[in-house]
Amino acid sequence: MEELLDILRDIKDDVDFENCDTLIDDGILDSFAILQIIAALNDNYDIAIPAAEIVPENFNSAASLLKMVERLQNE
Amino acid sequence: MGYTSPSFLLFLTGSILLYFLFPKKYRWTVLLGASLFFYARASLKGFIYLAVTSLSTYFAGRILSARNQKDKETVKAIKDREEKKKQKEILKKKRWHILLACLILNFGILIFLKYLNFMIDTVNALSGFERYPMLNLLIPLGISFYTFQSMGYVIDIYNGKLEAEKNFFKFLLFVSFFPQIIQGPISMYDQLAHQLYEPHDYDYHNLKRGCELMLWGYFKKMVIADRAVMFLNVVTADYTAYNGTVILLALLVYTVQLYADFSAGIDISRGICEIIGIDMVENFRRPYFAETINDFWRRWHISLGAWMKKYIFYPFAVLKPVMNIGKKIKNSSFGKTEYGKHVAKVFPISLSSLVVFMVVGFWHGANWKYAGFGLWNGLIIMFSELLKPVFEQMTQALHIKTASFGFKLFRIIRTLFIVIVGYVFDIAPGLSSSVDMIRRVFFDQVWTAETVKTIADISPINKDGAVILCIAVIILFVVSLVQESTGKQIRDMIDEKPWPLEWAVLFAGMVIVLCFGIYGPGYDAAAFVYMQF
Repeated sequence: MEELLDILRDIKDDVDFENCDTLIDDGILDSFAILQIIAALNDNYDIAIPAAEIVPENFNSAASLLKMVERLQNE
Repeated sequence: MGYTSPSFLLFLTGSILLYFLFPKKYRWTVLLGASLFFYARASLKGFIYLAVTSLSTYFAGRILSARNQKDKETVKAIKDREEKKKQKEILKKKRWHILLACLILNFGILIFLKYLNFMIDTVNALSGFERYPMLNLLIPLGISFYTFQSMGYVIDIYNGKLEAEKNFFKFLLFVSFFPQIIQGPISMYDQLAHQLYEPHDYDYHNLKRGCELMLWGYFKKMVIADRAVMFLNVVTADYTAYNGTVILLALLVYTVQLYADFSAGIDISRGICEIIGIDMVENFRRPYFAETINDFWRRWHISLGAWMKKYIFYPFAVLKPVMNIGKKIKNSSFGKTEYGKHVAKVFPISLSSLVVFMVVGFWHGANWKYAGFGLWNGLIIMFSELLKPVFEQMTQALHIKTASFGFKLFRIIRTLFIVIVGYVFDIAPGLSSSVDMIRRVFFDQVWTAETVKTIADISPINKDGAVILCIAVIILFVVSLVQESTGKQIRDMIDEKPWPLEWAVLFAGMVIVLCFGIYGPGYDAAAFVYMQF
């Protein structure tokens, strides 16, 4: 989780990724931030996040992002 | 049968009455019947295209939905991990072919009907003579709206996000629902469909609020937009006859007219839905208060933006070759610098945004001037993202308080300026005339009494009409300002008042629209601007 939090903070350093679970619902992450996160996650975890995965359930919190990454790694 | 015609109001009243009188189980059939009647009245020939899209999408959706389930079970039964992966890819490819066939057919129809003459014209222009004759093609009512909505549905099924609707007639209702067929909004299936199918009970509160929203729409359309368009039509008929000051005034009038017209149509559509008990997606959030051009596009035609983002922007931006552009920049010597790192992150995304704006541009019309519109918006967003660190350094160096009201106002005016320049591509007859219009606005300003006289002479709106227009625009501005600063709807504020006052406001609104609206025998109400899409 710490590694993921570092990646996220590197993209947007003014967001409390540790506690926020409404990153999409509250408009904290815009489409540019979402795509930067995808590029960073693809690179770091050797996955390819498809566009169909860009849904609030996957991007609302760091925990849901980690869950998605682990699921895609296992596929 | 436009929104402003008495026959529409009669049709609407009858449909709503019938809806609430019907047994609950069959209420959706009233909406379907009303939608098909409305469409047939507007365009009987266009009905064939609507039927082709509905049928092809319905069957593609059913096949994909069934395959999703079956393929999942097939893959689940395979034990070997590598084999599982391989089989999954093979099955996905087969599903992709089904989706592709549906997309090609439906976008093919859209492109053929909307853009074939444009392509012929371009080929003729390039070859220097009339090589191919133009075709007389019928563009069905709302073709872009129902095509986009249907294709969104089938893509969502392909992605496993939706189950296909089993009842064809229910699906047909989703495609043809009359309040959205004229000019959107483009609804997502999971947001709208279940609301269409489930029965809604009559509710006085919904009726009142729906009527209020419709009335606000009629005010914007009949008092503002249809009055403003009269002046605009004169100037755009031959803009070369006027100096930059007159053209600038026409541009400002268009800025008001376009918003009033388009948002009015949406308000009327949403008001109709609200009376029934359906919550239709929002399409505008006071766009002229946007502080950046990105923000503007999040507030303007929200449903089109959401569709483009979901089905074009994201899928394009996550493509491997696009993502690799960022990697290449990152691995270069430039990418090792602080600014280079920023460019590596943002450039591929900005490029995707530019592509989307080109698509949005051409969606607006089959004319090269819309390429200019797309480029203008796309490049502004691209450079604003790429140069973000530079702007941040500048504001720091100049000790600008970014949270101050003054800076906020500066950002709003700057964004509005960019938007208005973009509107030149809308009102100009072509690409080269767009550039000429911009040149005139910037370099041919003539602020003299002569110009004032020219404006007064050419204006089909008399002095009283101009005063009514100005007051109506001020009302629109004040209402928007209250909504923007308080986050509250005016209707919520009216709701809090005693009922006689509520009805007095509603009655006053009706009187204003009836007295100051542009309508009546001999006046052909202007079609909604976005109806042509």
